[in-house]
Amino acid sequence: MGQSFEEALTSGKFLIVTSLDPPKGTDLEGIAGVIGKLKGVVNALGVYDNPRALMYMSPWAICRLVIEQGVEPIMHVTCRDRNRLALQSDLLAAASIGIKNILCVSGDHVMFGDHVDAKPVHDIDSVHLLSAAKALSEGNDMAGNPLKGSPAFCLGATANPEANPLEPQLIKVDKKIQVGASFLITQPVFNMDNLKRFVDHVKESKVKVIAGIDLLVPEEVPKYRDGSYPGLFVPENLLEEIAGADIEKCVNVAGDLIKQIKSANLCDGIHISAPGHEEKIPDILKAGGL
Amino acid sequence: MIVAKRKPFKEIKESVSGANKILILGCGTCVAVCLAGGEKEVAILASQLRMALQLENQNVHIDELTIERQCDREFIEQINTSVNVDDYDLILSTACAAGVQLLSDVFDHKVVVPGLNTTFIGVAEGPGVWTERCRACSDCVLADTGGICPVTICAKGLLNGPCGGARNGKCEVDPEKDCAWVLIYNRLEKLGRLDKMKKIHAPKRYSVQEHPATIIHEAYKHRYTV
Repeated sequence: MGQSFEEALTSGKFLIVTSLDPPKGTDLEGIAGVIGKLKGVVNALGVYDNPRALMYMSPWAICRLVIEQGVEPIMHVTCRDRNRLALQSDLLAAASIGIKNILCVSGDHVMFGDHVDAKPVHDIDSVHLLSAAKALSEGNDMAGNPLKGSPAFCLGATANPEANPLEPQLIKVDKKIQVGASFLITQPVFNMDNLKRFVDHVKESKVKVIAGIDLLVPEEVPKYRDGSYPGLFVPENLLEEIAGADIEKCVNVAGDLIKQIKSANLCDGIHISAPGHEEKIPDILKAGGL
Repeated sequence: MIVAKRKPFKEIKESVSGANKILILGCGTCVAVCLAGGEKEVAILASQLRMALQLENQNVHIDELTIERQCDREFIEQINTSVNVDDYDLILSTACAAGVQLLSDVFDHKVVVPGLNTTFIGVAEGPGVWTERCRACSDCVLADTGGICPVTICAKGLLNGPCGGARNGKCEVDPEKDCAWVLIYNRLEKLGRLDKMKKIHAPKRYSVQEHPATIIHEAYKHRYTV
């Protein structure tokens, strides 16, 4: 077994991470093929938890498949769909099948998804979830009850360096670090000054920053523009560049962002999001000089 | 105050079908202020129903009455000084849902149906505009949030700061609405109290939210305890 994701985080190595949508249905063939292609390409493979409030298979099942294929998973966990009992239960279940890396998120609002009449739970927020996962690692549940056997999680959180205003984000990210986040995966970044401002703020902590890179594609431009992807703030000039571009051009745009991040030595890794175009991830890395 | 809005007319008409004599009962407090269920709205609804039923050649008698409050037994019990409730097949209440329920309790031999959908606890922003301000969570955090409620104003009810979706200070859910946490940040900064935002707020204690809740004032406890 090679270096774990947690070890890689502290190794100083530039990390490459991506995340996948679980299948909608029980057919695992497609996602198993994608996982196979990404083996050896990424340091860890994230699995989204009902991303954009669209109903998919629970991520723990896909994380198990990721492990079986010899890749280390990062399980995304959203506070939107479960209360504190269910979240803790799922965290323990995840630990029992070998999932160590947990990304704690609030979750996109249900109105973006395919079950708009669902009740948004948000019993606890992402700061609480990190705190709960930390407590489980230390042998207690949120209510302080002792556990018989406790997990050893490597905890991550999200943040948005492109947020405007940024200051409220920074206050929240400080809380996430305070309660146990050891890595941050950011929302997609486009402006290096914004990323630098964000990284400068957190650099006093030991938290590792993995910058989000999105493969922007022309067919999604209207949705990028109208806010259908919460947290994705693409500058207008880039939208114009992408509209009408072929996939190779899109890959190069993502690659250029990686080059800018790398050359400015801004952070500890990148998280590539390319839903539906995962086969392009090796090309994006190549275009980014990795 | 309680803010409500009238149900779609089609739904109201269906809910009163089969009744030959209807009392439309308005409420003179919150729902009158928010122009949903007071005396004027009762008159409009009664006219609309009369016309719609007449167009279908239905011979239905509709009376109108508005009382001060339907959420208080004292006022409900006075209804019989104005009308004889037993003369009616059905009472169509334009109170909030609390009023409708108390009315049903008091006249439990009568069919009582709601004319409104009760929507929120809110404030009047200006003529004809009301906004939600409170979720009645029984565990108020306003002291730490600059008098702006994240439980209500944040679409996700987040307690420790914004999600990553706010765009230029607007909520990811609705670009017309301000992000609660940007509002809170700005207010606390103005007040020189940003330290309050840096505090980690513990998860909400849902145990303090009794459902259905009952409050008995200390001074009256002797009346209701054995």
